[in-house]
Amino acid sequence: MDAWDKALGRAMFTEDYYVDYLLANALFIKQVLSPMPHARIKKIDASRALSISGVHGVFTASSIPGENQVGYAIPDQPLIAEGKVRYAGELVALVAASDFDKAIRGAEEVVVDYEPLPALLDPLEAMERRDVLVHEERGSNIAFQTRVRKGNVEEGFSKAHVVVENEYRLHHQEHAYLETEAALAIPESEGRVTVIGALQYPHLGQKIVSRVLGVPMSKVKIVAPYIGGGFGGKDDEGPLTCAKAALVAYLTGRPAFILYSREDSIRVHPKREAAVIRYKSGVDAGGKLTAIEVTIIHDTGAYANRGPFILWRATMHASGPYEVPNAKVDGYAVYTNKVYQGSFRGFGNLSIQFAVERQMDLLAEKLGLDPVEFRLRNILREGSYTLTSQLLDHSVGVGEALKRVAEKADWWRKRREIEEFNKSSERFKRGIGVAVAWHGISTSRAVPDWSNAYVKVELDGSVTVYTGIVEMGQGSPTSSHVQIVSEILGVPVDKVKVVFATTEAPDSGATHASRGTGIGGLGVLVAAAKIRERLASLAGRVLGVDPGELEFKDGRVYSRRDPSKSISWRDLVREAYARGVEVSATGYYYLPKGRFDESTGQGFAYPAYSYIVLVTEVEVDTRTGLVRVLRVYPGLASGKIINPKQVEGQIEGAIAQAIGYTLMEYLYFDEYGRVLNANFTDYVIPTPKDIPEIEKPVYVEDKFRHGAFGAKGVGEMALIPGPASIANAVAHALGVNITSTPLTPWRLLEYIKRSPRG
Amino acid sequence: MVVSEIPPINITARNTRIIPFEYEYYEPRSLKEVLELLDRYGDQARILAGGTDLLVKMKARLVEPRVVINVKKIDGLRYIVEDGEQVRIGALTRLRDVENSELVKKYIPALHDAVKSMGSIQIRNMATIGGNLCNASPAADTAPPLLVHNAKVVLSSVGGDRVLPLAEFFKGPGLTMLKPNELLREIIVEKSIAGSSAFKKVSRVAVDLAIASAAVYVEVEDGFIRNARIALGSVAPKPLRAVKTESLLRGLRIDSREVLNALKTIDEEISPITDVRSTAEYRRYASKVLVLDALEVAYARLKGGVHG
Ligand SMILES: Cc1cc2nc3c(=O)[nH]c(=O)nc-3n(C[C@H](O)[C@H](O)[C@H](O)COP(=O)(O)OP(=O)(O)OC[C@H]3O[C@@H](n4cnc5c(N)ncnc54)[C@H](O)[C@@H]3O)c2cc1C
Repeated sequence: MDAWDKALGRAMFTEDYYVDYLLANALFIKQVLSPMPHARIKKIDASRALSISGVHGVFTASSIPGENQVGYAIPDQPLIAEGKVRYAGELVALVAASDFDKAIRGAEEVVVDYEPLPALLDPLEAMERRDVLVHEERGSNIAFQTRVRKGNVEEGFSKAHVVVENEYRLHHQEHAYLETEAALAIPESEGRVTVIGALQYPHLGQKIVSRVLGVPMSKVKIVAPYIGGGFGGKDDEGPLTCAKAALVAYLTGRPAFILYSREDSIRVHPKREAAVIRYKSGVDAGGKLTAIEVTIIHDTGAYANRGPFILWRATMHASGPYEVPNAKVDGYAVYTNKVYQGSFRGFGNLSIQFAVERQMDLLAEKLGLDPVEFRLRNILREGSYTLTSQLLDHSVGVGEALKRVAEKADWWRKRREIEEFNKSSERFKRGIGVAVAWHGISTSRAVPDWSNAYVKVELDGSVTVYTGIVEMGQGSPTSSHVQIVSEILGVPVDKVKVVFATTEAPDSGATHASRGTGIGGLGVLVAAAKIRERLASLAGRVLGVDPGELEFKDGRVYSRRDPSKSISWRDLVREAYARGVEVSATGYYYLPKGRFDESTGQGFAYPAYSYIVLVTEVEVDTRTGLVRVLRVYPGLASGKIINPKQVEGQIEGAIAQAIGYTLMEYLYFDEYGRVLNANFTDYVIPTPKDIPEIEKPVYVEDKFRHGAFGAKGVGEMALIPGPASIANAVAHALGVNITSTPLTPWRLLEYIKRSPRG
Repeated sequence: MVVSEIPPINITARNTRIIPFEYEYYEPRSLKEVLELLDRYGDQARILAGGTDLLVKMKARLVEPRVVINVKKIDGLRYIVEDGEQVRIGALTRLRDVENSELVKKYIPALHDAVKSMGSIQIRNMATIGGNLCNASPAADTAPPLLVHNAKVVLSSVGGDRVLPLAEFFKGPGLTMLKPNELLREIIVEKSIAGSSAFKKVSRVAVDLAIASAAVYVEVEDGFIRNARIALGSVAPKPLRAVKTESLLRGLRIDSREVLNALKTIDEEISPITDVRSTAEYRRYASKVLVLDALEVAYARLKGGVHG
């Protein structure tokens, strides 16, 4: 097989990678992006770019050897624009040159002749238009629709004592990860390619690269080193980044490196969706919800990407963590000529929980009930049916979490004290707000979800774990996975090494949807358990005891009844090697799922739900309109907390992102749908000084049957109700109804002007 | 050393590759060398002080100088000294030095406020006061305090020095009266002796350029304003003094409603725009709130007996 390569000197040895490939050969890639929101591509003239010395190639849609199709949910998206462009920032060509500067110069010299088309920027308008279509072949600007029909809403509203109806508007959010998108692709013999890239799901990258190059997946290897933040953004853009580098490497036979500038990153990669939500809810005199009627419109931008899944999640979470007997929910993902929406921590759930939790406060106010008390009357509990009529038979700790957080925050006393304070303080007003959220863990509906990993015990007793789960600061492979193995095999954590984020491991699913530890860890757990079983039976024979009474702990295996019957882990492993007991195993776990009826939106939506409570205190300067978040009390009901330090880190980071989203961040578009603030001078995120004291979280460990040690998921949680809890606190401070974000000072002054008290 | 002997240092091959063009780089060791280089390259050259503005602009290719002259290796331009009724500040003084200076705290309190609000500690350790003024952003936070303290700037070239009132130094966004061969060498600031001063700003996040800013210097006698100076940032093409409003304040009781009325005149003196940081309307409104707040702080400082 490789004899020819070796004979011809084409086979690669380590030094060859460095000397021949990287040092002398590497190509740097710069993207040519469309300045137009919607236009036909009439001609691409690369001749001037190619005449620059050092520019090695200009690659367009027609260069792609495989399929120019990278849409995740709907096949509507090319890797490189073909025929037309659909947003300002869309990739039109890749320029590869011997260094960055030349690639940049080359990209500026690619002349694209565009024929402008009318651009649609407003989703409400785009929904109605038939004459202008972002995707002609789809016949409508509505990319995807969802629905829930539960009970009878007319009847529900007729029983209502109080009805509240509002329209909410939520804005885009940029991920602002420290590390921008990057990938290095190395071509290898026999048409194989290895890509080192920043992505959240190596096996998805493998699939996309293989499709674009038209080569079998087995010829594509993907590895993700440490990732400088993902938040979902590198779930969408990561595989595409790899494909861009792989394409150039494959076509030129040279290593190719792509690194997005911050400006390109912000223009190109998908954002948290902007949403318009119309929400009507009714509640009876006893304070129980009787019905909800909800319309959710997502500005999906130029491509569907994961928009259908995002909309689906928003739709099936539209009740919030409450019992709602009658519901009618309609969701629309609408194409516009703007940068497309995509995965972002919370995944469609942040905006809908904002609407839910504002509604809950308004209903409570109208009923004259305390917001916590009103929520507790409706909260999901064991035995409740969800919005999709899924029975929650276990792991529902949200009510207890809410009670305990309220107690910890001294909610009832503080609420009164603050109201007193506000009576005497003219300029500065304080507020305290609560928001609760739920979040389905793993993939939705019957979409298969599994966990898979490979574990091997080395001759010296150390353990190597292979997983596709990535490390982007959250630490699931480098610490939770290590802890799982250490716990089951009783080996010290420093003896366990996790090889993560590689397609050399079995497909472990993505590191998203808060599944890295709870679900990602399952495969590791199963594999480790298999090895333990084999070694327990061996140890039983060696020590002459029943394997059932063996304990694996601190590098020893011993009988619980008679601890003097013991063998060191190391010796046991050596025994296993000597006696032919296999000490490697793959672990696989397939999550049980149920049926779902799309026409009614009823059935099994998610295997489990994590729950979160946030109580937030704010102070508003009514003269400048500036809001200061003073303190946040978090509470989690997300099953077993495997590593509290990491969970705290996740909560704190998520709250910072929530504060940024609610008070500071905003993506400005000009009249051509171009992002005006595509840099960190103009798009600002909170600094350490903007982050308040975050109290130690309250944990209600409502263990989940199908999670590693009963864990559910944590990563996304605290961001989801963050904006709602801040808005509820501000509304409490000012006595105004807040229906949109962000709460910039000038918008807040508008609210104050309109306020009855103001 | 004469200029022709100063070799350019080739750093572009080794840099982080985020500045996507080539330039010649000099590290002169004396003021004289700097001025000679400036004279030779004129508007093809840029001074690099802290680089916290310049490098951001180079990365975005808003400026593409052919020559970059790093002045941070020269001695003698980093000082804050008392000189009679004035304080002299070297152009290369770091913002962090200004922040920690007792002289500034005591005699130019508005500047102390302003510097404390600028960037993060890391930025303040790099950034210079001269860079802030020469960058000539309408949002430059040291400008309003220096304007109300009647600051003057000393501009040097091979031909010698000239002195300009700071109020005449700014021409527009990014534009100053500096000639291509000139360096800002020193800032001369009037101490607050009879009065006191304060600075206020609003921004989107804690480490950020101002949405709007205001500095006030005020002298008060028996509760009446004897003299007031107001300067505003981010509400016009350049930082400016609100002289009309100042004159209306003179003679008013400091805590009276008339002060509020007089501040309405600010509207006529400013011309804010809407951009990604804020709306024009909010800037108009915030300017008045900031002036009022700054007046309150400056007056409290006066009453407190300490000028700091
Ligand atoms: C994260 C961050 C936060 C910031 N926050 C603030 C803020 O809150 N408020 C604020 O006002 N600014 C802020 N800035 C901007 C910047 O830090 C300041 O303007 C700083 O004072 C610039 O000084 P420097 O020494 O870094 O200037 P440089 O970048 O070195 O120079 C700026 C310009 O002035 C010229 N120049 C410098 N010195 C001289 C001289 N002596 N003579 C002639 N020309 C000269 C340079 O050629 C260049 O054109 C911030 C910047 C960053 C990156």
